[in-house]
Parts: sequence; structure tokens; C-alpha cells
Amino acid sequence: MTSCPACLRPLGQGDLPALAAHLVEEAEESDPAHVRWLNQNLTREKTTAAELVPMLERVYDLGSGTLKGWIKARFIAKFYGPVPHPFVTALQHPSRATLLGYVVEHQHFLRQWVRSCAYIMARTDEPKVILYELDNLNTEYGGAGPTRVAHYELLLRMGESLGLDRTRVLTTPPLPSTREGIEGWNRIATHQHWVAALAAMHSLELIANRNLVDDGASVHYFDPAILDSKEITDAATNFLREGYEADVTHSDEALDLVNEFGSRPDLRDEVQSTFLRSIDLFDDYLLARLQRAADFEA
Amino acid sequence: MKRNYSGCAVCNSTWGNVWAEVEGERMFFCCDICATQFRRLVDRVKTETGWSTLDSLEIAGDRRGRTCVAGSGDESFRCFVAFTPQGEIRIFEKLAR
Ligand SMILES: [Zn+2]
Ligand SMILES: [Zn+2]
Repeated sequence: MTSCPACLRPLGQGDLPALAAHLVEEAEESDPAHVRWLNQNLTREKTTAAELVPMLERVYDLGSGTLKGWIKARFIAKFYGPVPHPFVTALQHPSRATLLGYVVEHQHFLRQWVRSCAYIMARTDEPKVILYELDNLNTEYGGAGPTRVAHYELLLRMGESLGLDRTRVLTTPPLPSTREGIEGWNRIATHQHWVAALAAMHSLELIANRNLVDDGASVHYFDPAILDSKEITDAATNFLREGYEADVTHSDEALDLVNEFGSRPDLRDEVQSTFLRSIDLFDDYLLARLQRAADFEA
Repeated sequence: MKRNYSGCAVCNSTWGNVWAEVEGERMFFCCDICATQFRRLVDRVKTETGWSTLDSLEIAGDRRGRTCVAGSGDESFRCFVAFTPQGEIRIFEKLAR
């Protein structure tokens, strides 16, 4: 079933004319999410629903490629184009404030992460997907003894190494964009098909995938040289290195599963729309990290 | 107020239907967030310059950041601005003329 990429309302399978009509209708009401989606993905110029249909066809068309390739290309275009996302630019050589903004907002993100992945596990029948999520959840949240500390714990330690107490991190409420992201991802995990949720969540791990430059990304998530310099604390190095090492396989394996289970014609456009919604939420969420960083600027 | 866009005063989109009064003038915006952004920008420029009114405001750029040239009488002011997803000012930098 097609979903609206701005609000995830279900529409008929492959029914792009219905989607076009819905977008025009919502834009007429000045709904910010729909206007934004039209502005950024189709055109800034108000047109008829009929004229939008071929534009939508171009967005959803995989060409001769795969669903995985389509997701990667869209992700790179949004976050790693000639002008990367401002958070990525700030993370190249991060200030203390940037890293603390990351800690405070990402703590909330990771707690939703666990919930989203647990829903995917609960809703799939595929053993491969369950095993994938179990491994992912251990890396991100559970950990496995002192030699394999969870990403969540490494995040809190990074905050402590920069002078921010974990009690304060855990009691700081999320900024509006983080909260909206969490609500959006929770809705995706509970309402969309599990393979659409799988695509929506794990495509986000592309942000730290160091192989993305081979696919055309303009920069890495951060300048890898900082891992071997004294520019950041050891705890910050440990946190960033963990993502740098884990997220290549996390995002690639998940997108292989999306390809395998989500390419069916009755699922594909729902996967695509859900992914598109998720990267809009993520774009705003990354800005919340920078907004929070401003609190720590001297 | 003289502007360079014929569509939404912030992003030039012609989608949407928000009409909001800014500086005593009814202006078109594609959504409430753009209307908020424009109001915040005008207020901030007035605070920075001490002007009581703006005669013109030209905007260039995209959602990642916009460069603005404001004018009042024969004075002008240049700045760079970026907003939060809710339309509040996230970065504001005065630029050399
Ligand atoms: Zn919608
Ligand atoms: Zn606008």
C-alpha cells in the first residue's frame, strides 16, 4: 500500500494520482509537512495534481537499480550532498558543545531506537530479521560485558568525559524536533509494515557509514583523523569509533534485508514513503543536536 | 516592504495559503513556519540595527541558511540566518556590507 511520504496516511497500492490529490489538498490547508515535502521533493511552484503525477513517478522510480540503491542515493542527496547537513559539518572537528548537544538529544533517540527495533522483531516472522535486530540491540543498548560496551553507555561516558553528569543528561527533556522524531518513529514502528519500519530505522545508520563516500557522499560523518588525534577526549573517540565500525554492517545488512523482503510490488512504495518520512524527521532531529549544542557554548 | 520573492516571502514557494500581517502589511507565506521565520527575522534585524521600520528585505539561499539584505531609508544591513524546524532563529550573523 502507498503511504503519504509527509503524513503516512495509507492510500491505494501504487495509486500515485491519489497521492498527488492528497498532497494538493493538504497544501491548500498550508500543512507544513506536506508543503515542505512538495517544496523539497517535487516543486516550489503550485501546480495541479495531474501535473504532480509524473514528478511522483520519477521520485519513486528505481530505474534499473535496487531498492537498497534507491535508499542510499536519496539519503546521500539529503545529508551528504555538496553542502552536507549542518550537523555533519559541525562534527568534522567537533567542539565540546557539539558533542554535548549530541549526548543530550541522542540519549532520547537511542531509547526510542530500542522500542522501534523491538516492534520490528515482534512484528516480523523472518528469523534473519530477528537475529539482525538482536545483534543490533546488543550493540546499541544491551552491550556484552566490559569488552563490548553498548553504544548508549559509550554516549553517556562521552558526556561525562566532557564534564556533563549523566543524571543531568537523563533528566533533560528532549527538544521539540527530537520529541517529534521520537513520536514519528514510534508511529512508524507500530503502524507501518515491519519491513517499512526496518527501512525507516536502519537507513538512518547510513549517517555513520564510512563507505558512503564510495557511493558519492561529499564527506565522512566526521574527519576520521580525529580518532587518532588528541582533539577529542578518549571517551568521545570510543563513542565515535564504535559507530564508525558498527554502522557499515548495520546499515548495509539491514538494507539487504529491506531489498529481500520489501521489493515486492505490494510493499515497495510503502517502504519508500516510510523511508522518506523518516529522513525528514531525522533531518530535523540532527538540527536539534545543534540547537542543544548552543546551550553549551561559552 | 519591498521583497525579492513573488511567492512565500521566505522560500518563494507558491504552495499553501497563509496570509499574515507583518509590519502592517498582509503577506503571503506557504506555511505557518515560514511566517514565524519571517517575523523573527524582521524583529531581529530591527533589534540589531535600531531601525523602527524596514523598507526592503531581500532573501537568498535555502533552508540550510539564508543571506539577507535589509534596507531602511538609505541605510542597509546584511546578515546570515538559519532557523530551527519550528521557525525560531538558530544562527544569526551580521555580515560585512
Ligand atoms: Zn499526507
Ligand atoms: Zn515558505
